[in-house]
Amino acid sequence: MRVPQGLTTGADVTGNLSVDCDVVIVGSGAGGATMAAELAEAGVDVVVIEEGGYHPTESFTADSMRALRTLYRDGGGGMAVGRPSVLFAEGRCVGGSTVVNGGMSWRTPAQVLERWSAEGVLAIGERDMEPYFARAESRHSVGLQDPETIGRDSELMRAGAAARGWAVAANRRGQLHCAGTNNCSSGCPTGAKRSMLVTSVPRALALGARLYADCRVDRITRAGRVVTGVTGHFARGPALTVRAPAVVVAAGAIQTPALLARSGLRSGQLGRNLALHPNTTVVAFFDSEVTGWHGVHQAFQVREFMTEGLVLTAQNLPPPMLAGIVPAYGRELGELMADYNRIVTAGPLATDTGAGRVRNIPGLGTQVFYQLTDADAARLARGVELTGQTLFAAGARRMLLPFDGAPEVRSPGELRNLLARPVPKASMQVYSIHLMGTARMSEDRRRGVTDSFGAVHGVRGLFVADASLFPGPIGINPMETVIALAMRNARRFLGALLPDGDRGARHVDVAAGALGGVRVLGQLGVVDAELVHHAGRDPVVGRVGPLDDPVVGERPVAEAADPLA
Amino acid sequence: MRAHHRTDRVLAEFELMLGALAPAARKALTTAIVALDHGARLYPRSRGRRFTRLDDQAAEAYIRALLARGGVPAQLVQRLRGLVVMCYYELPAVQREIGYHPAPYIAAVSRRRLESYGPEIAAAEAAVTARDTQR
Repeated sequence: MRVPQGLTTGADVTGNLSVDCDVVIVGSGAGGATMAAELAEAGVDVVVIEEGGYHPTESFTADSMRALRTLYRDGGGGMAVGRPSVLFAEGRCVGGSTVVNGGMSWRTPAQVLERWSAEGVLAIGERDMEPYFARAESRHSVGLQDPETIGRDSELMRAGAAARGWAVAANRRGQLHCAGTNNCSSGCPTGAKRSMLVTSVPRALALGARLYADCRVDRITRAGRVVTGVTGHFARGPALTVRAPAVVVAAGAIQTPALLARSGLRSGQLGRNLALHPNTTVVAFFDSEVTGWHGVHQAFQVREFMTEGLVLTAQNLPPPMLAGIVPAYGRELGELMADYNRIVTAGPLATDTGAGRVRNIPGLGTQVFYQLTDADAARLARGVELTGQTLFAAGARRMLLPFDGAPEVRSPGELRNLLARPVPKASMQVYSIHLMGTARMSEDRRRGVTDSFGAVHGVRGLFVADASLFPGPIGINPMETVIALAMRNARRFLGALLPDGDRGARHVDVAAGALGGVRVLGQLGVVDAELVHHAGRDPVVGRVGPLDDPVVGERPVAEAADPLA
Repeated sequence: MRAHHRTDRVLAEFELMLGALAPAARKALTTAIVALDHGARLYPRSRGRRFTRLDDQAAEAYIRALLARGGVPAQLVQRLRGLVVMCYYELPAVQREIGYHPAPYIAAVSRRRLESYGPEIAAAEAAVTARDTQR
């Protein structure tokens, strides 16, 4: 296995390590890798720490159990305790969950941004975010599928929705001519999916960042209210100490609050407000072959019911995953699975109104609690009914519903009758792959963990850069929102390297240690000033200016050798 | 599973998966396995035998009886059952029997992708590590 320059895996480390840098980032998923690439490009000395291993594109196969063991946290078997419990999955590998998600890339809906603005989050309006969305989409080749890669399960879902007269949207995905291998959840074997593994991680490394894989961060270190770095350990035992004046936590909405809490951060909202877009799956049987594993999964989304907080999609499950969720045992399961190539699996994804919590419990580690509200349970049941109607309209002969003890249904009428009465919550099979909100943004520190730009209230140098920041659920796939927020917050972060009083000044006097940050500001056009810094003992004059300056644009810091007299 | 002599392979897969779970989940499932096995002695149709000694029909009836009772035992049985059947359907021979053989398909569509869009893909890949001139 060829490991990129700048990446150190646990296998390479034989003794304790201690490193220094400007910024240490915990996590290499959508938020962490984006931050790393943005900061590294601006000249900041970045170290990224990833708990999972490095698994390159060429290692990905259709062996889904191996993928669960190597690419997911806890074998993909996360569980939010509640009634019903919610099974969830988180990526844990270089590239994070972007390696195992579907690559769907949608802008945050305008009404969600409006709601966040109304709640007091600054600079989060559609116009504020537009340049970051555009940049995220450009960088990750976001677009529609090539037609030859769309499989029959997706076509059936579209046809069923069209027969009902419902709105369908072709899915937007970060993909570079996706081949349609249907292997998204086990790692894209062609590299066409523009996960962080093949975009922002190699970009950050090429721009000078360092990445340590197989290393779990134990604590964020502080001196009073100022961060000083992190400590962690590699899977095989050696310790890693990173000294840095800034720490960005981007470990996902479960691990981020857990790390902040075990590092002693006390915030009333930390770990609370977990939203998770509950989803579930209907298994529909057709007379003819569907072969759902031919073609990309989830090529379309039925969006007719977005105002009700529901999106419907078809996504083929590989045999182990399907067998794991269908309510059948023994011979019955064998007969059901024998029809594998005539099955379409589809279901609703719901915007939730409930809130869960992440807690560190001594002896048990990080635990997640989530209570599905009555309203959300009713929404999910309605989503199941709508999904069923779609699939019957597409020609399905019979269907299994995700409710324990529910009989097989063979017609829209049976489906309607069955769901005419409320479905007991405890009988629902509920899953999640979108976890959000556990370190949410708010200018009011009583309502949020960070400010509007991911800076943790009350601790200098500590930032969050993942879906933990979301003030609430967004109703669609969250990856592009995470990336765009990371780009926006990286820019803000770079701006904050310069003290407020110095902004716009014609002369800036800085210590040599802050020089990298000032260079960064110059590249971003934040300052246009003469610079006085101290390289060793000798003061040096330079100039920092915006990139559109014809003189300094090619060389953002034009350092003069003249010492100050 | 027994008839096809696949038990060992399923158990090997199961052991690997058990090792990947969170410690708390692993402990809960391990305890559940022991309880499930010995609990069968109390099930009337087992006639005092452990679960592992039951024939297929009696074993299935025992599982169904546990599931019908609901609560934590049913949840644990469901998780355990989920994990076991996942391991079974991961076996290549089983996948072939149900018509799932993705490797040749993946190879074919991967080739098609490169044949159709090779130069564009190569250019985009090169741009990944290039400095951004649009800032």
